[in-house]
Amino acid sequence: MSRTNRSSLIAILVIIGGLVAVAFVNSSSLGNFGITLLSGLFQGMLLFLVASGLSIIFGLMDVLNFAQGAYFMVGAYVAYDAQHAGGLIDLTQAIPDPNLRFPIAVLIAMIVGALLGIILERGLLRPLYARPIYQLVLTFGVALVMAEIIKFLWTTTPYSWTEVFGVRDSFFELFGQRFSTYRLFVVGMGIALIVLIALLLRRSRIGIIIRAGVEDREMVQALGINVQTVFTLVFTLGCAIAALGGAVAAPFLGASTTLGDIFLLQAIAVVVLGGMGSYEGTAIGSIMVGLAVAVAQDAAIGTSFSALPSITPMLLLVLVLLLRPSGLFGNAR
Amino acid sequence: MEATTRNPSWLRTNGWLLLLLALLILFPFIVGALTDSSPYGVPRGDRMIMRGESVRWQSVLIEVYILAILAMSYNLLFGFTGVISFGHALFFGTSSYLFGLALEFTDLDTGLAIVLGALAGILVCGLLGLLIGLVTLRLKGVYFAIFTLAVAEMFYIFFGRWQLTRAEDGFAISELPTWLDPTQSRLNYYYIALALVVLTFLFIRRLVKSPTGAVFQAIRENEDRAQSLGYNTLNYKLFSIVIAAMLAGVAGLLQVMLNKKVGPELVSVGYTVDPLLMTIIGGVGTLGGPIVGAAGLHLLDIFFRDRELVLGAVTIDIANIWALLLGVIFILVVIVFPYGVIGTWKRWQARALRRQ
Repeated sequence: MSRTNRSSLIAILVIIGGLVAVAFVNSSSLGNFGITLLSGLFQGMLLFLVASGLSIIFGLMDVLNFAQGAYFMVGAYVAYDAQHAGGLIDLTQAIPDPNLRFPIAVLIAMIVGALLGIILERGLLRPLYARPIYQLVLTFGVALVMAEIIKFLWTTTPYSWTEVFGVRDSFFELFGQRFSTYRLFVVGMGIALIVLIALLLRRSRIGIIIRAGVEDREMVQALGINVQTVFTLVFTLGCAIAALGGAVAAPFLGASTTLGDIFLLQAIAVVVLGGMGSYEGTAIGSIMVGLAVAVAQDAAIGTSFSALPSITPMLLLVLVLLLRPSGLFGNAR
Repeated sequence: MEATTRNPSWLRTNGWLLLLLALLILFPFIVGALTDSSPYGVPRGDRMIMRGESVRWQSVLIEVYILAILAMSYNLLFGFTGVISFGHALFFGTSSYLFGLALEFTDLDTGLAIVLGALAGILVCGLLGLLIGLVTLRLKGVYFAIFTLAVAEMFYIFFGRWQLTRAEDGFAISELPTWLDPTQSRLNYYYIALALVVLTFLFIRRLVKSPTGAVFQAIRENEDRAQSLGYNTLNYKLFSIVIAAMLAGVAGLLQVMLNKKVGPELVSVGYTVDPLLMTIIGGVGTLGGPIVGAAGLHLLDIFFRDRELVLGAVTIDIANIWALLLGVIFILVVIVFPYGVIGTWKRWQARALRRQ
């Protein structure tokens, strides 16, 4: 193991250990401690779903997709709409069972996210590869347009999830405290996705091409591989995963127009502190930021400093950048 | 010098600008004469009521001037130095909050509070820019964009929840001296804003045409090459950011005094998008572009604000979809009209010259 790897490993252990310790000291009982940890992991997994796309797209294409948060938001709205009666997509007649309708709603959200991703990459970003700074400007503009379209379709009133269905509303008991099964389910799904994407990147042919592209895009092209197609694929996948994140978050967070900004901001913190373009960094960074936010939420209860959880990701980011300027696993030139 | 041989007299190159300036100076009186309204407002007792077409148009133009200063500062960074910021509202809002805090939450004498608040606002903006620049500018260019966005968003959330400044509602500024107060003597304020636009324009023109400005543009074109020529590009970029941040702070001060209200909306993403869009529409890296963009976009906004769009049986308030329209304009301009009004005109002119 090289020295840089060891020092970032120490930094990771210190930060995560510190967060867990703070959570433990702060909580009155073992049950509360468990809730904070689970909630931190839950948020970390949602963050991973936004940040992984952001990170891989940046590593491969040098495009920082500022619209990634908007895809998350679209996912939340579409899933909400498909699950509940009286929306644009009304599935309550076709699929009366809410337990069955939820996976379908999530799937629809992913498909919408993927389609919007293809439109953005093929239609809008591709003409701009010669002018990289404008790509950045463009994704920023697309994020605005998507937020405005959402406001136009679904108004600015936030929706909170009302549909009752099995896995969301069941609980299990531990240390005399009720835990939501749904959070555990999302955490499990997140871990599964981390492993799945890691396998895709490490073991499959397309993954090898993607990793080679992150290292040296021109060399891959020179070897006769159509990098453009890989770009579209990665971009679409990234957007679909962000939409998936929004869809599975919707039962807990509902759907609101501030969702995109919040998650974009946190995902950016994750990607930067993990190191731009590094997959491991993103995975570990997500868990760190998620835990930090959960600890901050717990600490802010009952105090007047209610803004603490929302600025925690940035504080953590500044801390990590002071320790390691290029992020934990980064190579930021 | 090629330029001087082609345009021999100073008056010929600057004549149009002087004419425009004269027109803008006389503007309140012209509108007043045309619509038969007083440029000073209507007196009632010992106070003035701001009523009439002339006064209304003055406030529209003051808003254009504020946006023009903001856009010019953005252009110095984006257009001339090639550094992109997604959080210009950060500087705009920070100076306005500091100014408001100095006026409303300290025991200072009003005059002193205005001077100190304005100075503190502008200096802190410069400092913020310097700090963000120091942390990010050694890394890839995208880091600066990320950091400005993130810090701006953080400030927006923070100001939206800060109990002292009444969170989302913000607070009103009550005490401004009569000669400065736009609700009492708007004409004075109009000239102050106009003077600041002119000063900013002259300053940026001087800066861009100076050796320092040449290095800025060299950094924009190819930073590695500028570095290998022996320039410490980091220092130049930091300088550009500090200047731009302070200018954005000045614009923020003007905005606060105009509306006499401080609130988190001053740090919102809107005040980042506006200068960005205005710069691109007017012409990135041109001197007049941001002013053209600011005037064009803001006047369009005013024009469409209370109109309706009729699509068959559906009637849509344009005010409700203005942000959407703005976003679509944004995307279209970036893709099909990247040189902006002035940039495209200059290219067209250059092509015509080559053909001769």
